[in-house]
Amino acid sequence: MRIKAFASRNIKELIRDPLSYIFCLGFPLVMLVVMTVIGQSIPDEAQMTVFSVQNQSAGTAVFGLAFVMLFSALLISKDRASALLSRLFASPMKSVDFILGYTLPLVIIAVAQLAVNFASSLVIGAATGESFDILNMLLSMLVHITTIFLFIGFGIIFGSLFNEKSSPGISSIIVSLAPILGGVWMPIDTMGGVILDVAKVFPFYHAVKASRTVLAGSTDGVLQSVMYLSAWAAVIFAISIFVFKAKMRSEKK
Amino acid sequence: MNAIKIDGITKRFGTKTAVNKLSLEIEQGELFSLLGVNGAGKTTLIKMLTCLLKPSEGNASILGKSVVSQSGEVKSVINLSTQETAVAPNLTVRENLMMIAGIYGMDKETAKSRTAEMIEKLSFGEYENQRAKTLSGGWQRKLSIAMALITQPKVLFLDEPTLGLDVLARRELWELVRSLKGKMTIILTTHYMEEAESLSDRIGVMINSNLITVGSPEELMKNTNTKSIEDAFVKIAGGDRNEN
Repeated sequence: MRIKAFASRNIKELIRDPLSYIFCLGFPLVMLVVMTVIGQSIPDEAQMTVFSVQNQSAGTAVFGLAFVMLFSALLISKDRASALLSRLFASPMKSVDFILGYTLPLVIIAVAQLAVNFASSLVIGAATGESFDILNMLLSMLVHITTIFLFIGFGIIFGSLFNEKSSPGISSIIVSLAPILGGVWMPIDTMGGVILDVAKVFPFYHAVKASRTVLAGSTDGVLQSVMYLSAWAAVIFAISIFVFKAKMRSEKK
Repeated sequence: MNAIKIDGITKRFGTKTAVNKLSLEIEQGELFSLLGVNGAGKTTLIKMLTCLLKPSEGNASILGKSVVSQSGEVKSVINLSTQETAVAPNLTVRENLMMIAGIYGMDKETAKSRTAEMIEKLSFGEYENQRAKTLSGGWQRKLSIAMALITQPKVLFLDEPTLGLDVLARRELWELVRSLKGKMTIILTTHYMEEAESLSDRIGVMINSNLITVGSPEELMKNTNTKSIEDAFVKIAGGDRNEN
């Protein structure tokens, strides 16, 4: 009941903020359209498949989820600055209620964002002559369940450690790095070298790669990518729980 | 029976002592006011009693439960209205009240009926579907207090509830607090002497982290040979500014 009441408040706070729509939905969709247009402008001989609607939809899914991280961080850091959280700390709520109360609404928003992303890709694909397999799209969304927890984990860490002014800035570093290291807008596999080695260390590359592979109807290397991504998500989410609880304890000292 | 028993409670922040070995007993149904200049330690004491801060030394119990070792039990019988307005800005008045009811474990039907009761009692009818951030300061403060009352706490902490309110809103809140007297134990901190004089059964004066004196408004005035709580406070605080 406590989790439901708090989660319900958080989802209302998020969906009533117009910036959520601009950044969580608007901006990634604009990027999807822009990159598709760029892709359409590149001659086929260049074999730049990274800009195909299919590949872009997988990339934009990860890019969009990075904004869910930004909003997680903003929600928590704003709450920390307000007297509302003091009131809630004095209530019977436990740390697990807070963590689930923050996480569940963000998961719902992230899943809705993925659905809108892939639905838009269907429409754009239809306009550009690319077709999608709906089942592959659903599988791709399933792959991103781990990506969702990865980004929410980052958001909880930044929101717990930084104030409402600095947490969006810190989150922006990840928002910028995720598409670069994920190879969303550049053929990182073709480029190879140090950038590919570095990209493979971080989870974003594996999230984009697994999603693209599944969308293409293949399973080659998907399990390895998802395992690697899940390990990152598990560690980051565990750290976020630790940091949030430690912060709760330190504010009582 | 005591609602609150404080036993040598102390809070230190580094080398600074914010509350120094404070002991006090407050009876059930009593309205106890804490007076003191800024930085006297009133809010720190309230934070320790509401389990928001851990005491450096000593202990306190609320209805027999320790704030140190039984904070879960303590939290279920208390509520507080903080110095700053503590509302969810994007939620309506009704949603804010429902949220707190849910957090304190009420089922949906009870939460609905208590919310309706608070809306009627505090005359929120006109604003019930308005988002908290669009309310005036006075109405936000009133909502913040309603969110503390909806859980029907046995002990209610009001930390400077009328701070920054105009005189009409302040008087309205006094009436509300007065109507609660005897129904629950209320601990009130305030800078308004008239407020303390008008509402309190007993008043405690804190100076420099210490509880200097405790008594009914009449006792404090009698002991200091003054005619108002403001004059009594000034005398107790060591700066008799009576120009007479």
